Amino acid sequence: VTPPCLSRYLASYEMPRFAQLRPTLHAACFPLMKLLPARFMLDRAEASGQLDARGHIAETTSGSFGLALALLAAARGHELTLVTASGLIDPDFKHRLEFLGARLLVASDIGGTGGQGARLEMLKAVLAERPGTFWPHQYDNLDNALAYSRLAELIVRAIGRVDHLVGCVGSGGSLCGTAGFLRNLFPQMRVVAVDTHNSILFGHSPGKRLLRGLGNSILPANLKHELVDEVHWVGALPAFAQARALYRGQGIYAGPTSGAAARVAYWVADRHPETSVVVIFPDEGYRYQQTLYNDTWLDTVAGWPPRLTGGPRRVDRIAPGGEADWTYFNWRGRSLEEALADV
Amino acid sequence: LVAQHSPSDGQICSSGTARELTVGVGRSIAHHGELLQGVFEGADGRLRRALLTLPYEQRNATATFWPDSGSSVRVRPVDRTKAAAAVVLTLAHIGLERRGGDLTLESAISVGHGYGSSTADVIAAIRAAASSAGAMLSRSTTASLAIRAEAASDALAYGDQPVLFAHREGTVLEHFGAEYPPLAVVGFRAGRTAIDTLRMPRARYSPPEIELFRVLRGLASRAMEDQDPALLGRVATISSQVSQRHLPKPGFEHLLQLAEETRACGIQVSHSGTVAGLVFDPQSNGVRRRLIQAAKLLHGAGFEDVTSFTVGAGGPL
Repeated sequence: VTPPCLSRYLASYEMPRFAQLRPTLHAACFPLMKLLPARFMLDRAEASGQLDARGHIAETTSGSFGLALALLAAARGHELTLVTASGLIDPDFKHRLEFLGARLLVASDIGGTGGQGARLEMLKAVLAERPGTFWPHQYDNLDNALAYSRLAELIVRAIGRVDHLVGCVGSGGSLCGTAGFLRNLFPQMRVVAVDTHNSILFGHSPGKRLLRGLGNSILPANLKHELVDEVHWVGALPAFAQARALYRGQGIYAGPTSGAAARVAYWVADRHPETSVVVIFPDEGYRYQQTLYNDTWLDTVAGWPPRLTGGPRRVDRIAPGGEADWTYFNWRGRSLEEALADV
Repeated sequence: LVAQHSPSDGQICSSGTARELTVGVGRSIAHHGELLQGVFEGADGRLRRALLTLPYEQRNATATFWPDSGSSVRVRPVDRTKAAAAVVLTLAHIGLERRGGDLTLESAISVGHGYGSSTADVIAAIRAAASSAGAMLSRSTTASLAIRAEAASDALAYGDQPVLFAHREGTVLEHFGAEYPPLAVVGFRAGRTAIDTLRMPRARYSPPEIELFRVLRGLASRAMEDQDPALLGRVATISSQVSQRHLPKPGFEHLLQLAEETRACGIQVSHSGTVAGLVFDPQSNGVRRRLIQAAKLLHGAGFEDVTSFTVGAGGPL
């Protein structure tokens, strides 16, 4: 049983602070957004009997969802196995997870696309080996999206009506979960999804991605394309540059996905000055000290520093650009099949 | 549940001296169903059934208590036994055991449709008994005495104060601030059968509904803070739509159309009765005309008891 003081600390850590970037533009800044769905999924699994009090949890993740699970597993006394990919995990992060007691299984990732197929096979082997293991399955577990009622509640309490919601898509949980609740309240609200080139979520073919923490090489059930009005593909370079500007200009030390989301949100707020815009920032910058906050590393990145162009290029065909590019497409609430058939 | 004693709460003379009781009068307003009803997280993380009431100050109940030297409470009309029990509980709470008298209830609130007639009687009786003993009861004490007199209670002890009220415990989950935003309501009854609230099966809400209630609670809070009838109307409409899956109101789809046609802020319903209303912003353009239009359309569509009233709008429109 989790001591109440401990669970209360993590319950408060799972919620964002608000930053007002413009009079009508608010950012929900999470220190570690994935704690919110991870905690909710574990609560629901415990309530339904899928996860025993000291039971074993296994998941495939190379991102902050793994860190969230590791924090919760340590605090609640669960065993945790994380399956990750060699190209996506640095020694510091690996150490942080292992310090919390997580067991890491690392799949090799030669193509740099995340090795989802190999990772899934390793995970399935773990599940077969240890019956009774709970697999949160963040991509397809609908509790992931449902967890974001807390964010929607916080947004309406703090801001009231929302006209535009901007957020990154990886599992689809945060954007589609929050948008689902807010759209019910405000049927006219527009949903702006932020993805990156070579992610398959909105129809690109899979390829190497420099910008991590959003995008995907497999299609998660938590992504509801029909909720989305507009899709932006932001390359790593404009995302890095915007994240650095957020730190220097606002004191917001955030990760590169927040940079991508901020870039799009500023543009939306400029185009619709009379409307209320909310953007979701998923994590903090500490994990990226040796990359986007490190000038020496950035000098090794082709194309750095990027030219600061005014806005995105509208595209009528769905095709990936380069890491310096920022494009957008009027998705207009279509399913993936419909959108691909229309272009 | 045990009523909470507090020093300021009527415990004036506990020394056993026989206190003189005088004739006491108490009142309670009715309500017009709910703006929001569902299950919500309490401070301890547990889920509780709770509601946000729409006050209906134009209907009320008055209780008068005439003490006598006997030790039993007689009540008229004779079927208001919960109100009589509430008098006994209230006097005992104040420290006056085995006192009696006559309790009379006069109420303009129809029974069994979701106007809170039973709770209004009980609250008025508690206030009459307290007044008879010269005691002032807090709202929370009044609410917990009401819960002891009847198994579940409406939020009427809080009158025109907006609260998220756990009606089976008699406790407040959230105080939404000082007052409701100004509202104009065209009320009516959807369905004619009177309902015995306590015998209804409790709604079993799904996990997505429970998470939706969380968001609606946040929007209700924002609506009160901004004094925004449109946001509160939206809360009411969505809560009604959830209620429709558990206690369907006949003609609900038609009501949604009427609300749109008359540019109402929303639809509110009694989640355990037949009362319903279209909610308007009394400061919006052409509201008088739209209220009349709504009343005519509702009457024409066969809804009964069509009336209009205001909440916090500074008098009739």
